Amino acid sequence: MPHATDIAVDRLERISGGASRETYRFRLGWREGGEARERQLILRRDPPASLIDTERRVEFEAYRAFAGSAVPVPAMLWLEEASETLDHPFFIAEELAGYQAAPQMLFSGAYDAILPKVAERKWTILGGIARADPIALGLDKWMPAPPLDDCWRRELAHWEAILDKDEAEPLPIARAAIRWLKANPPPPAQKLAVVHGDYRTGNFLYDAAGEIHGVLDWEMAHLGDPLEDLGWGFNPVWQFGRPGLEGGLVAKADAVAIWERASGLQADPAALHWWTLFNCVKGQAIWVGSARAFIDGGNKEPIMVYPAWWLLNAQDRAILKVMDKL
Amino acid sequence: MTPSVPSVLSELANLLMRNAMPGVPDAERASALGLSAMLLNISAEVWDGAAHNLVEENRALRSLLGVGGPDENLRLSALRAENDRLRAQLIGAQIAAETSGDTARQDAIWAELRASTERRKLSISLV
Repeated sequence: MPHATDIAVDRLERISGGASRETYRFRLGWREGGEARERQLILRRDPPASLIDTERRVEFEAYRAFAGSAVPVPAMLWLEEASETLDHPFFIAEELAGYQAAPQMLFSGAYDAILPKVAERKWTILGGIARADPIALGLDKWMPAPPLDDCWRRELAHWEAILDKDEAEPLPIARAAIRWLKANPPPPAQKLAVVHGDYRTGNFLYDAAGEIHGVLDWEMAHLGDPLEDLGWGFNPVWQFGRPGLEGGLVAKADAVAIWERASGLQADPAALHWWTLFNCVKGQAIWVGSARAFIDGGNKEPIMVYPAWWLLNAQDRAILKVMDKL
Repeated sequence: MTPSVPSVLSELANLLMRNAMPGVPDAERASALGLSAMLLNISAEVWDGAAHNLVEENRALRSLLGVGGPDENLRLSALRAENDRLRAQLIGAQIAAETSGDTARQDAIWAELRASTERRKLSISLV
């Protein structure tokens, strides 16, 4: 903002939730060309310790890559990777105001009539992410591009290492799942895709008509197998207690059909099963990391405890379910 | 429960003290108190059955692993430490059963793992 004067920040308030970043909304006011202007913005700042540790630049560039595309994202404005200004790295984005994100609201009963529309939009947009060419988007500059036959190994090794580092108790169910995943690898990825990494109900903004206006929380974005994102959404914990409805929305066959139509790709059932079980292990690593951040004192906020208490056992049960043991 | 209930209750007490002071922004106070309430509810739910479930599970694990000895120290922290020790052994036992192809043994271990998630299941469990 080189021509701005009288820059002022007010109405700063922290938005609850967000165990991986601190999120604030605020109003930015300034004068430019003799006129007073203002804009509603979002500040996302690293917390002292997080349930996941990722690069701000990766998240920022993932958002920017999809700006203006059929994948709706808030506009990214500024990124600060140094810690001098606000103690931790942060970025600032436009606020998409007036929409909902909470699954609890979506499944309150008030939105039942538009759930099929939300499902259609949700998996159509995910198909758009899968269809995108990460090289054309320039994302290979910020994210490693693994060989197609190595996507699964790379991701599994990453999350197993996090479990090894962070687990505070033996996890026999997750360990059995990891052994199965290693013994039964999926086929090579159909293509190298942008993987959002946390594409689930709760991480997009919806309205009362069932339209989706923003896909959020790209902090785990990377390049890999497009089935990975589909499998994350099929992690049974994201059914939010609505058995048989993926993402709490529609049957798996319907979700897959929407995604295949939008992406132009195929969801091989065996490969999708592998990625669904993998994502159950990934989920467990995240919840374990949340507990570890609290135990080690890096972050004593209650938001770090809630995922661990609420989801560790549910995730174990999800693993059993996907392995046909429950 | 991980993190342990006492460690969380202690931190919630600190959090409540901080939020009892003037000057905390309304949105932050609402978020802190709302999450605290949910954690207190979970604590209340697991409190009564915690020792019983650990003793029952440790007994089942010892039976499965063929090791003896009752739980003599009934403090939750001691029961939990013993449970961790036994579940670590169970991982080894399951690997051995998979390696040898002992499907009956594998089934017995899976049955105990399934039972372990029932013991730990919360009323708000998503699965």
